[in-house]
Amino acid sequence: MTAMIELVAVHKSFGHLEVLKGIDLRVAHKEVVVVIGPSGSGKSTMLRCINGLEPIQKGKVIIEGEDLHGPHTDPNKIRQRIGMVFQSFNLFPHKDALHNVMMAPLKVQKKPKEEVEEIARDLLAKVGLADKMEAFPDELSGGQQQRVAIARALAMKPDMMLFDEVTSALDPELVAEVLGVMQDLARSGMTMVVVTHEMGFAREVGSRLIFMDGGVVVEEGDPREMIVNPKEPRTQKFLSMVL
Amino acid sequence: MNAFFNGEIFKDSLWLLVKTLPTVFEVLILGLVCAWAWGLVLSLVRLSRFRVLRFLAAAYIDFFRGLPLLLLFIFVYYGLATAGLRLPPLASGVLGLALCYGAYAAEIFRAGIQAIHKGQMEAARSLGMTQGQAMRYVILPQALKLVVPPLTNELIAMVKDTSLMSVIAFPELLFRAKEKMGVVANATPLTVAALLYLVFTIPLIRVAAQMEVKRRKKKKKGGAGPPDGLTPEAEMELLSADIAGQLPKGGEMH
Repeated sequence: MTAMIELVAVHKSFGHLEVLKGIDLRVAHKEVVVVIGPSGSGKSTMLRCINGLEPIQKGKVIIEGEDLHGPHTDPNKIRQRIGMVFQSFNLFPHKDALHNVMMAPLKVQKKPKEEVEEIARDLLAKVGLADKMEAFPDELSGGQQQRVAIARALAMKPDMMLFDEVTSALDPELVAEVLGVMQDLARSGMTMVVVTHEMGFAREVGSRLIFMDGGVVVEEGDPREMIVNPKEPRTQKFLSMVL
Repeated sequence: MNAFFNGEIFKDSLWLLVKTLPTVFEVLILGLVCAWAWGLVLSLVRLSRFRVLRFLAAAYIDFFRGLPLLLLFIFVYYGLATAGLRLPPLASGVLGLALCYGAYAAEIFRAGIQAIHKGQMEAARSLGMTQGQAMRYVILPQALKLVVPPLTNELIAMVKDTSLMSVIAFPELLFRAKEKMGVVANATPLTVAALLYLVFTIPLIRVAAQMEVKRRKKKKKGGAGPPDGLTPEAEMELLSADIAGQLPKGGEMH
């Protein structure tokens, strides 16, 4: 079976600074891959390369068998199948929650308004915001905004979801509500790549754990196994600091 | 005192000058629409990913920001006529305003667009929007709100700069006032013209100031909000584009 996401020897530099030094990664259908690592290790950059938000210098990004940088590929089409949630929420401040969720299906997929509104109301209810449909982003807490952002990404009915440190900007008491939504999503069979510092989430929800440092994948394995028994010294050192 | 404020002449000139207001509004509204539309197009070209186009837009903007509007009016009306292209005063006025104020508006729009947090563009693109869709549905609606205060300042300057069209025989306030002044050998018509300018500019100035106060308050209150606020650099950019818009663009009157 073709992988949902496949990275082959991906190299990425910002000027002279090489951030990704040959990343290989395969994510299978319904897999929840959790990526951890110190800041500057390239984990967020890797995530952004998966949907082409960052161009790469070398290597291949293959999404469901399609080369993202292929000559006949429309990256916009591929991005429609990859939902992404950001650390800083990035909700559209000029639209209320409902219309944040409705915008892409309406404008990109050009679905009829009634259908889109139903999808959006369903999704917002699912992330526990049935009573906040008409609220604007600046009237919502961080946790609520992030849940709207998840609903917004899901509204495109993506085949996979990318999460870029989505709880890092949240007050501690708001983290759980967002992780809860992500956990439900994983249980429903969504393919996910999650960059996070939440080791609890990695242990409970992750089907695979990846430790990155210095632009390479240092170690990967079963999260429950790897967290208690890391093999590489760098992984050991990192885990001893975050646990 | 009688030289500047003669009751009889005042009444006369007031009627005369009020009658010219529709003409002034005509050139102003046409000029404004053209200048802002042209400015928006220029700003988008200025920010496009095509280097040559970007350069051309930047060159245009620098060029017309550097020219006195008075010279532009004279060139469009008299200069082009020497080459056989005779534009009526109204068309010359609109063209002059659009050429010059388009360049200023372009800088304001550019600053407004660049002031939108880059996460907005990323979020839009991650949803599968094209660059154009993201611009239209996400960036511009926010940027346009941001540029209302600087554009209001532009409008104030534009109202005043219609007076420069008196040199191209466009029958606006100053032109008529000067005419009348010659006939009555008294400066009262000028006083009337000045009052009429102020009737329109002072409310605009107040509105612009009010918006500024509101924006400052909102900024103070914000903090926990989403990262759609202006970065300090973006704010400086908007401000400088704004200040540029307030500088007098015309030369001195003779």
